[in-house]
Amino acid sequence: MSTSTNILDIKNIEVTYDNVILALHDVSLKVPKGKVVALLGANGAGKSTTLKAVSTMLASERGKVTKGTIEYDGTSIEKQNPSQMVGLGMVQVLEGRRCFGHLTVEENIIAGAYSRKLSKGDINQELEKIYTYFIRLKERRKSQAAFTSGGEQQMIAVARAMMAKPKMLLLDEPTMGLAPQLVAEIFNIVKELNQKEGVSILLAEQNTNVALKNSDYGYIIETGRVMLDGTAQSLLSNDQVKELYLGISKKGRKNFRDVLKEESLTKKKIN
Amino acid sequence: MVEELLFFMEVLVGGLLAGTMYSLVALGFVLIFKASATFNFSQGAMVFFSVLAFVGFMQDFNIPFVLAFILAALLMVVVGLCTERFVLRPLMNASEDTVLMATIGLGYVLEGLAQAAWGVEVRRLDLGIGDFPVPWIADNLKLFISALDITAGLVAAIMIIGLFLLFKYTKIGLGLRAVADDAGAASSIGIPLKHIMLLVWSAAGVVALVAGCMWGARAGVQFALVDLALKALPVLIIGGFSSIPGAIIGGLIIGAVEKVLEVYIGPFFGGAIEGWAPYVLAIFFLLYRPEGLFGEKIIRRV
Repeated sequence: MSTSTNILDIKNIEVTYDNVILALHDVSLKVPKGKVVALLGANGAGKSTTLKAVSTMLASERGKVTKGTIEYDGTSIEKQNPSQMVGLGMVQVLEGRRCFGHLTVEENIIAGAYSRKLSKGDINQELEKIYTYFIRLKERRKSQAAFTSGGEQQMIAVARAMMAKPKMLLLDEPTMGLAPQLVAEIFNIVKELNQKEGVSILLAEQNTNVALKNSDYGYIIETGRVMLDGTAQSLLSNDQVKELYLGISKKGRKNFRDVLKEESLTKKKIN
Repeated sequence: MVEELLFFMEVLVGGLLAGTMYSLVALGFVLIFKASATFNFSQGAMVFFSVLAFVGFMQDFNIPFVLAFILAALLMVVVGLCTERFVLRPLMNASEDTVLMATIGLGYVLEGLAQAAWGVEVRRLDLGIGDFPVPWIADNLKLFISALDITAGLVAAIMIIGLFLLFKYTKIGLGLRAVADDAGAASSIGIPLKHIMLLVWSAAGVVALVAGCMWGARAGVQFALVDLALKALPVLIIGGFSSIPGAIIGGLIIGAVEKVLEVYIGPFFGGAIEGWAPYVLAIFFLLYRPEGLFGEKIIRRV
């Protein structure tokens, strides 16, 4: 991978909140142009922090990149603010969807084009294009966003981000709390946007299996460090990943009860 | 009987129109509450500051009426600019309570600045509209209604229509509503919070100037305007803090209720109940309908 093919290049960043809480120790990752990269890990591992460091939303949470560099599209993001990043074509879809509840679905999506200077006609044209990916939203476009379902709200959040015409999307747990069927639907849309619109994607997920199946490359982080990285294929077949994140051991599926049983057996043996 | 009814009508209409004066002040609060979820305690000071500057330009510098008004409006935009830069931006991530306290401080600064620049004596503001009954209405409808009250009603109507159109149909209005709903999400899609805050504070400043003109013409331009603006609090509790129509209707209700109560129930309490009657009404609203008549319901999916 040469640098010019990477749209995002994070080198050894360290992030602290409130000047004291160390959230990321040493994270490096690359997103090649036009690819989907998954950032995996448990709660509190540092996935959201990494994404916010990239979109420069950290500042609004009293966080700061204290070491390392982040390069987006060949330039350092150090001096940028979130609205400038959107102008450069990088949009983050925040964790928990965060729709504008009192606005209609369509107003939500149009708000995404705020950073672009578009005429009414242009906006309608863009809207129609967006609706081809999110057919379900077109039907609900006059409803108040707060009254739509969780899956629809996630679609609104992604559609809204797409209205800014991004080169790169940062998706923070897009499938959180969604039923498996919707998880698949969301990922299908994400894949489609990636392939047809050529948007590069960095997504943070806890749903390791689905995320890797829909990505080109993956990074696994734990307590603010990258523990493992590789192509999605290699990670899916990696024994460690299988055991720790997919719940599959060499002997086949393993659940929590089995683990407890094993533990009590080993204890007995020691006694 | 007819005479009694006419008298009641007169009290009611007088109250309603006086209420629009409250609405005008309340509008300024609503604008800022919508964008930053903060009750702006300095709104009263902004009313005082803006109208004193307006009168000062006219009386001390002999600037003509219209030009002085434009200058005062521009001055309020500058105040908005400074507030965004020196108060709101440094407090960007602070809690709402911190911003609330900051607005109290801002209020004192504005009061002090206004008096330092223009002096402390009460000034007269002549809008060319008399505060006496309109003869035509008095002759034909037998109602005594002040021309100033009618003007205030018209001005309030124009402002509410203007603001409604701004919010509903312009890009900046959409941005403002988005920020009001979720400032973090708005900034994540590239809506610059800075511009929105600047717009809102400037608009609130201009609204304060208009409200100040109406009140100043009635009661004289004086320090008491600061406290008078706090009458907007029961107006907002009744109408809803985040609703522009709410501010208008709330103002009308307060105006009507306080005048009617004053006339019909006041004597039993020895008069002067219009000072506190609106707050009693506000307490009932807080108990039974805390979001007000038109306030945005807190929508929560479960």
